[in-house]
Amino acid sequence: MGEYASGKSEVAINRALELKKQGREVTLVDLDTVEPFYTLRTLKNELEKKGLKVLAFTRAQSFGLGETGAMLNPAARWALKQEGDIILDVGYGVFGAQTLNLVEGANESPELKVMAVINYSRPMTGNRERIKSYIKNLGRVDAIVANTHMGDESTIDLTKTGNQEIFIVAAELGIPIAYQVLDEKLKDSGEKNWEIPVKYIKRFMPTAIW
Amino acid sequence: MPKIFEAGKKAFITGNEAVAWAALAAGAEIMFGYPITPQNEVMHYWTRLAPEYGKGFLQTEDELSAGFTVCGAVQSGKKAFTATAGPGNVLMQEPFGMAEAMRLPLFAVIQQRGGPSSGTVVYSQQEVTLTTYGGNGEGHRIVYSTATHQEIYDYTIKGFNTAWKYRFPTFLLGDGYQAKMREPLEMYNPEDRGIEMVKTYPLVGLQGKIGEDREPQHLCNIYSLEEELYEVVLKFAAEYEAITPELVEYEEKECEDAEIIILSHGVVSRAADDAVKILRAQGIKAGYFRPITLRPFPQKQLREAINRKPARKLLIAESAYGQLDRLTKQEIYGETVAIENLFMPGVGIIDYDIINKVKSIM
Amino acid sequence: MGMIAPAIPKSWYLPSKPHKFCPGCGHGIVLKALGETIDELEIQDQVVFGCDIGCSLLSWNFFACDSTQTHHGRTTPVMVGIKRSRPELITIGYMGDGGGYSIGSQHLLNSAVRNEKVTLILVNNTNYGMTGGQMAPTTLPGQKTETSPFGRDVDLTGYPTRGPEFIAELTPDSAYVARATVSKYKQLRRFLRNALRNQMEGNGFSFVEVLSTCPTNWRTNAQQTWHFLEDEMEQYFPIGEIKTPFGKGDK
Repeated sequence: MGEYASGKSEVAINRALELKKQGREVTLVDLDTVEPFYTLRTLKNELEKKGLKVLAFTRAQSFGLGETGAMLNPAARWALKQEGDIILDVGYGVFGAQTLNLVEGANESPELKVMAVINYSRPMTGNRERIKSYIKNLGRVDAIVANTHMGDESTIDLTKTGNQEIFIVAAELGIPIAYQVLDEKLKDSGEKNWEIPVKYIKRFMPTAIW
Repeated sequence: MPKIFEAGKKAFITGNEAVAWAALAAGAEIMFGYPITPQNEVMHYWTRLAPEYGKGFLQTEDELSAGFTVCGAVQSGKKAFTATAGPGNVLMQEPFGMAEAMRLPLFAVIQQRGGPSSGTVVYSQQEVTLTTYGGNGEGHRIVYSTATHQEIYDYTIKGFNTAWKYRFPTFLLGDGYQAKMREPLEMYNPEDRGIEMVKTYPLVGLQGKIGEDREPQHLCNIYSLEEELYEVVLKFAAEYEAITPELVEYEEKECEDAEIIILSHGVVSRAADDAVKILRAQGIKAGYFRPITLRPFPQKQLREAINRKPARKLLIAESAYGQLDRLTKQEIYGETVAIENLFMPGVGIIDYDIINKVKSIM
Repeated sequence: MGMIAPAIPKSWYLPSKPHKFCPGCGHGIVLKALGETIDELEIQDQVVFGCDIGCSLLSWNFFACDSTQTHHGRTTPVMVGIKRSRPELITIGYMGDGGGYSIGSQHLLNSAVRNEKVTLILVNNTNYGMTGGQMAPTTLPGQKTETSPFGRDVDLTGYPTRGPEFIAELTPDSAYVARATVSKYKQLRRFLRNALRNQMEGNGFSFVEVLSTCPTNWRTNAQQTWHFLEDEMEQYFPIGEIKTPFGKGDK
């Protein structure tokens, strides 16, 4: 989970593909009920071709019905019945981790791990105070994924500086950093010594809408 | 005015949020709105920021009310705004008409979606006619059509200034794609860029004792005689025409030797820009013209661009069925350049749509 | 072991099933009750069903009855237009709290005053669900939504709208006004039947608000959902027949 446009779906998709590559069964679940424009539902068919299971309506199925089409696919409620790994992509919204109430058995599951994706370039998490208050309002957070980026204008320096701020806040709050994220386009930049492990991701979301 | 940002900050943001932050930076004091896709995040973010910055907000019962509450707020001298889309834009034509008639400094953001009626919740450029000439008036409005998030930010700030300086209702015309896409932009305090925010002033609720310090203000939007209305409309028209040269904004590239000029606005102009580069690389003499103000339309500048070579053809590309086309034709009446169309109502246009069209007509 | 298929109302349109309402949504219950009532009263061929914008729009092809989508808040006047032109048709307008008490409130109010012989069903789930969970006229005090992120402040935005109560004040005695809840199904069926009877017998306006669930936007699990519906919502929105020409009101 995370703030609006923090990179949740992107991280979720890449993590799913990473696990799939390890030979695991993976299900992605679209839990975005506030703003479904840049969500899994737009890429459902493409992701299924890569062998992932995706519990979401397609855009065509949720045809601007009623307006935004901020609907929940019933299969999402029973996501934990799926075999293998389950990745829940939780949309933004005023309720934060409470959204997990919508998935039967999620909160009680000992295997649940809530990862908050944070991008320092997002104004609402753009300084230490804001990050701190944002995380506090989220509810349960088990680990943080540091995802400072600026879309096509991302640079290593930007990521390092932004993520550093996130690390400081995480330490203050006693929340571990799971990993940091970088666009794979920045892979051969020469940087090798990362204190916190880096996962390189392929960006899928820019093709989501137009 | 207290600063919102310590220094210019580069941020990764969606178009709707850019409106909220820019309105904050511009000193907007209150927002009225009603939920409609795709502009809801303007409200979602304004309501989250409002308490922190002491700003006001009301979700009204509908768009009619949202428009009229903004009219009231600006009459009282407060910087107010609203945002809407599609059917909401249709409803707001009534309050926008009052703002035209009474010269109210109203600023509104329109995020176009498919039309007519509920259409789609996604995208189009089908509210051009509505936003430029909606209501039962003469279209004495100022309309900025943005193409990037930086422009959304810049023109929101400028929009407030334009509204308060010239007192014609002012609009930022965006669309659902711009509203939702994520892009980097630089957010700044206007004063850090040397932008002075035009002071607000009330039209009602003025200072001073009535009868001693001042007269009571009597505002109206109806006249008894046809001749009275005639005088008013002509007066507004003359004023509008007089300020047109300083308001008009446009972008022009490669028109000096262009055989075909591609005319587009808003987000489609990004595709046109790419298309022109690719066509030129392939040896086709294409030019690019983009009105930024749809009202007032840069007709003088477009005529000059057409007549430079002169261009043989003008290709008008829009995600609508002829709204930009009609607007352009009325503005450049008399020009004999052949006009071609790429109409894709409600659908995004990419560079290759334009390139293929150009090749088919050259 | 054979599967037992659930009894599906004849007036339901099978090609649009399974429907797309969220798991735990009350709309499915209301529409089932309505479908059973249409079957019971044998009016499938005379019904014209109108829906609004929002989650109610998912019902546009729900019934095997002639149906029309309208605009947000404009379902009421469209139903009035149909009924005034073709009084033999049974018009059922279906909307949410926004379509009825917000943008559609002037139409609701005026149709009630005129005692229009239409049947309006308003599903109240205390938020604007389909657009992402914004505040509604029926949002409870202190309730968080995307446009009341710090909780509904009654000083700024007033108290939740009690629609059936004001409709009852505005209408003559020949109108039928009730509030039902998806947690009391038999009562819901009875209220819907009475509402439609009121139209069929040519008496006058009929209006049923139905308290309904929205776990998706409330972010509640099953227990929390029922708690909110039965223990919190009913505090503000009393259940029962507020006005009925059919004899003693059922509280």
